[in-house]
This record gives sequence, C-alpha cells and structure tokens, in this order.
Amino acid sequence: MYPSEIEGYVAPCTVQEATEAFAKWGEETHYIAGGQSLMQAVKSRMIRPRCLVDLQKIVSIRGLHEDGSGHRIGAMTRYCDIASSRRLGGAFAALVDAASHVGDRQVRHRGTIGGSLCWNYISACMPVSNLAIGSQMSLVSLSGATRELGVDAFLGAPMETSRDEGEILLSIKLPQPAGRAGSAYRKWSLLTDGLPVIGVAAFLVLDETDRCALARIAVTGLESGPTRVPAAERALLGLAGSDRAEIETLLKDSASSLQIHSDEAGDAEYRKVLFRQLSLEVVTMAFDRALGSKK
Amino acid sequence: MKAEVSITINGIAYSRTIPIRMLLVDFIRYEAGLTGTHVGCTFEGVCGACTVHLDGDAIKACLMLAVQADGRSVTTVEGLAKGNELHPLQVAFNQHHALQCGFCTSGMLMSSLDLIEKNPELSEETVRHGLVGNICRCAGYANIVDAILDVAQERGS
Repeated sequence: MYPSEIEGYVAPCTVQEATEAFAKWGEETHYIAGGQSLMQAVKSRMIRPRCLVDLQKIVSIRGLHEDGSGHRIGAMTRYCDIASSRRLGGAFAALVDAASHVGDRQVRHRGTIGGSLCWNYISACMPVSNLAIGSQMSLVSLSGATRELGVDAFLGAPMETSRDEGEILLSIKLPQPAGRAGSAYRKWSLLTDGLPVIGVAAFLVLDETDRCALARIAVTGLESGPTRVPAAERALLGLAGSDRAEIETLLKDSASSLQIHSDEAGDAEYRKVLFRQLSLEVVTMAFDRALGSKK
Repeated sequence: MKAEVSITINGIAYSRTIPIRMLLVDFIRYEAGLTGTHVGCTFEGVCGACTVHLDGDAIKACLMLAVQADGRSVTTVEGLAKGNELHPLQVAFNQHHALQCGFCTSGMLMSSLDLIEKNPELSEETVRHGLVGNICRCAGYANIVDAILDVAQERGS
C-alpha cells in the first residue's frame, strides 16, 4: 500500500516552528511522532495527510529528566529508551514494564510514549499504564499557550483525547508521591509483545505501616479502552501486601464491576479470569516495589 | 509534493528528489537499487522483512517515509559483509540452513544483529521473543534460532 499524495513535509527543530508549520498548512495537517501507528493509517489511506509535521528533530521534547518534584518524560521519548531506563523504578516501574513489551524491537526503536498517548489506541499499553500512575500531560497550543492536564482528563474514548487541533503534547510529568510507592503492569496477548487481550496496571502508595494509602488500578482490553477500576481501588485501602487472601477476593469481586465483552481473542468469562490473575500479579508486584523503595 | 533528500546507505550518500509519500523501503529498493531489503506484508508493518538499521537501531523501513531518513544513516543486509567476507551471522545462517525460501532472511539478519549487539546474554527463549517482529512463513524458526545462538555464544566466549 502506498500513501496518498502528500503535499508538504516539515521537520522543525523547535516546538514553535512545529506549531507555526501546523498553522500554516492548516487542514489535514498531522503531527507525526514515531509513526508506528500513524503510518499504518496513512498507508491504508484511513488518514490522507496534506502535510506531515515531523517532531523527531525537536530535542527539547525527548528524553527522561528528573528533579526534586519527580520525573518528566519528553513526549518524543522512544519505548526503547523508557524500557532501558534505570531511573524509572519503584513508583513508575509500570511504564518500564509496558514499554519493554510494546510491539517488537523494531517498533520500540521508533514508537514514542507521546505518540501512543495521543493516538490512544483501544488496547495500547501506554495509556493504561499512565492512567494507573496518574501522569500529568503538558501541552502547548497553536498560540503558544501551555496547559497541564491529568491523564484521566486527557484520555477520552478509544482513539480520542482532549488534545485540541494543532496542540502538541510536550511531556509527561510523573509527580513524586508523598509516601513509598510502587507500580507494575502486565498484559496477556495472543502473541509475544502483542496488543493485550487484557492488560492491568497498578499504582500503590503505602503509609508508614506499609498499608495501602492510595491505589489506582487500570485495565485495558475492554471496549471502553483504558478504564480505572474504582471498586478495586477502594477495597485495597488499608490492606498490606501480606493480606493475599483479601486481595484475591477483592480483585475477584471487582472483576464483576467491569463491562467486559467477548470477541475472537477471548470471551468475557476468560477476560475476567485474565483480569483476576494479572491484577493479582501487578498488585503484589506494586506492593513489593513500594517496599523495596524503602531501602 | 517532492522533496530533496540525502540518505546514507551502507556508507554511500544517495541524494535524490523524491515524492514525499515514498516509503523508506522503496527508496532503498528503487532509488538505491538495493533489493536485499524485502517487502512482505506491505502495510501492516508486521512481517519484518523490510528491517534495516537506522543509525544503529533495527527499524521497519515500510513504517517510515524516506524523507524522514534525510541526513541519516541506514544499514541494509548488503552492508553486513566486509568485501567478500560474510558477517558471522550470515555464515551461521548458511551453516545451520537457517533459511528455506529466503524471503524473510534479510530482515531476520538485521533484527538478530540488533538483538545480539544489545543483549550480552541470549537464551533460546530471549531469541525467540526477540524475533517476534519477523515472520518466517516457511516456519524455519528452529534453525534461525540455532544460528543466532551460535553467533551469540561465540561472541560471549
């Protein structure tokens, strides 16, 4: 398959040049990040861009940065760079879990965290793991105005976000939690590193007695796209990692709170089994990682 | 509609005026005339036959426009051998009969080179998982995995 005719291609070196190019070309202009999803849509002509504004040369929106308040991941940071990061342990390890198993090694060398969040594919790994962590999105508009948006508000229905026309996602901020925290992500796919049939991410903050003070659990592989599981989040409060039987029960109960569909990859009952198993794994691992970060 | 690019492939700079919509894999095959890089699945980006290295990283040349590779350095399967001396992976693929029809082989070689160079310790499992982006329709995986492990072990020792 060949893309339809493309009139313009711009590869600016700054964010300002990128928004200016977008404004100049107007309708049917698309930003391209890593392009691992967008190029499929362009080749199948689901998208017929008039102009592509390539963000790959903008150094300021790439890479992992850390300061006292937490981490900042440039939107153009590739999966492989997140997967090999030694900085993102404990509280943010779910992102490493997710980035290490997206697609295949070729895709991980091109695909970016920002591209995946903006594309928000129905069962992609980046949206769900960021949803659990509670990442903050930094965006810049065509007029140059910046705004911050929590991931819950940023992600919409599958393949939709609250990103405005021409707006660029600059970075993903991961605020350092007040207490000890751990996160984890696991998925089950039909193929190694494939799109999840079910994927679950957990983010836990513990109090001084090692009990859960805050929980964010998110699941993907549902028709609704990445979805939080409030029933599990509430039930986890006050529990310790050693309360395994209670955790198992609450996760089993919370599976029935989900709107789960059947399709050729797995029926609803099987998806529930996967949710129970994977959520137990990630909750256990998030407790372990939170406690590990005490040292 | 058209753009000027200069893409270095296997050490040689190819300067061309090309349509913006030209895929990198087509630039490699039709502009540079290097037909070792294959096109298998054509649009989903799932078969891996078009795998090349872009500045040292294995990527799929069908999921990228040629204009995006302007000023960058690409290595294709033709760039593996040094003169008449085949790359150890190519020798191992030959010795282990790691190909039947050969269509996937160039992609397999480029992916497995990336895998070997970035992972100091490889097992059968890590090789099999590492090759998930490359499909062999002859299902000749067993010998491909053997050939890669052979080279990896030689490098490790």
